[in-house]
Amino acid sequence: MRASRGRGKTLRWGWLDVVLLGLIVLVGLYLWRRAAAEVFYRWDWSVVPEYLVYQNPETGDWRANLLMHGIYATLRLAFWGTLIALIIGVVMGCCRVSRNLFLRLVSRTYVEATRNIPPLVIIFVVYFFVSSQIMPLLGIADWVRHTEGALRTVIEVSFGPTALIENFLSGLLVLAAFEAAYFTEIIRAGIQSVEKGQWEAGDSIGLSRFKVMRYVIMPQAIQRTIPPLAGQLISLVKDSSMVSLISVQDLTYSGTQVAISTRKIFEIWIFIAVVYFVICFSLSLVSRWLERRMGRGLQ
Amino acid sequence: MNTTKRTLISLIAGVMLFGMTGAAWAQDTVNKLASESVIETIKQRGVMRIGLDFFVPWAMRAKNGDFVGFEIDVATKVAEDMGVEIEFVPTAWDGIIPALLSGKFDVVIAGMSVTPQRHLRINFTDPYASSGMLIAANSKTVPGLTRVSDFNNPNITIGAKRGTTGVDSVMKQAPLAKLRQYDEEVVGMQDAINGTIDAYFSSSPVPERAVASSEGRLYLPVQETFDGSIESFAVRKGDPDAILFFNNWIRLRRHDGWLQERHHYWFVGNDWADQVDVK
Repeated sequence: MRASRGRGKTLRWGWLDVVLLGLIVLVGLYLWRRAAAEVFYRWDWSVVPEYLVYQNPETGDWRANLLMHGIYATLRLAFWGTLIALIIGVVMGCCRVSRNLFLRLVSRTYVEATRNIPPLVIIFVVYFFVSSQIMPLLGIADWVRHTEGALRTVIEVSFGPTALIENFLSGLLVLAAFEAAYFTEIIRAGIQSVEKGQWEAGDSIGLSRFKVMRYVIMPQAIQRTIPPLAGQLISLVKDSSMVSLISVQDLTYSGTQVAISTRKIFEIWIFIAVVYFVICFSLSLVSRWLERRMGRGLQ
Repeated sequence: MNTTKRTLISLIAGVMLFGMTGAAWAQDTVNKLASESVIETIKQRGVMRIGLDFFVPWAMRAKNGDFVGFEIDVATKVAEDMGVEIEFVPTAWDGIIPALLSGKFDVVIAGMSVTPQRHLRINFTDPYASSGMLIAANSKTVPGLTRVSDFNNPNITIGAKRGTTGVDSVMKQAPLAKLRQYDEEVVGMQDAINGTIDAYFSSSPVPERAVASSEGRLYLPVQETFDGSIESFAVRKGDPDAILFFNNWIRLRRHDGWLQERHHYWFVGNDWADQVDVK
């Protein structure tokens, strides 16, 4: 459908398609049979819904269970992570193209240091050395522990269980700081891709450098950066599984716990893969829609 | 008063003053040690934070999402006896000692075996449990073995969980065999069932349970556990009060039979199996 709209060609089934499809099915069946013969495993998919939502047998109440909490945690990480990374990324991206040498040096150092160190190392260093010094000083954990009522609900909905809030915040900051380095470079490239004439045009009508950036350059740059930003955003969602190493109870770690307890590894991991796919694929769809919409606005 | 006398008196006074401040310093140190103990922190906070990782049947997630297991019972009972609430901080095994050192939780109650290497970095209490190794071996690739030493063979591949005493045991008992380390025990056990590896070393009762549910694909080459180990609470160094408190708690709960009863429930019995959906 889409192809026909785009290029004026209609899709038609040819004999090659049938042969290729048949081959794929055959290879799939062969692999499945091999796996079934070699691998001794009793499948039991009931473990997934059971750990997704739990029904109390006495009262009949339903409530979210481990896997559902894991999905929430991953979504929270993705949401706050994107927000913080975008803010850092835009600020640092502007610094990268600034006329001020100091700002350029700072942002360049940040990008190179973050991009060229394995994320796992950054996570451990920040968690064990930086956050274990800073978090107690801020006293967030103690403050949160003593909150009550509506405030507590708001905190729990936004940041997860209060007992593990320090871990969540550390994980979130590391993730955001790490991804923001890539965002920075994308934004820089976006700004630099805007033709020099646009700057000159802004200058010639007497706009300040900030106003040229705000009203002329940024709108064009942002539209151009949406596809790479969306790609990086999808990486962020997948990279968020790394923070399970520092006790953040995200989807990956919750899944691991269920897999260990029930010994149903395959069902759980397939389910986790599907959830990550759904989250990331919806992000792709949103970015496509956004791209088309913004493109229309600028024409 | 002549000069000598005066000097002597001031000297004596000086020594006395110095001695007194010395005593006061010592008193200060003792007070400081007591007030900085993690026990004091727990009391003030009203919450005890426990670091743990998941091992069957030490700590697991029940069908309703609750923490269950021997470890959970022990930790909950300690908190109950202290009159504080409890918070569990599940942490990947590799990071559990660094997390304890950097103060992410107060005490590790995670079936941690005492080893001299670990003891160099953290302090252990008296043991509250003991366990031993067993082997789950593949019935097709390595049939009919009956001794641990049979596994010391370069053609045999053995699995164990990374960073656990299982790895130490493989290196000690079967240095010639190929060792494969796993992050998750279930994955290693599945490999043993499939014959990707020949055997899996783990603490009892994990191998027995795997053999029982494998429909003959796995067998137990030895029935008696070997490479026995003791499990203790782990706390940060330099905190004598915490060690004393937990030691006496363990002594008391062993003397009144509570620890043995719970240990029997989780390690010998199987009444808990339907809590975690193991079919």
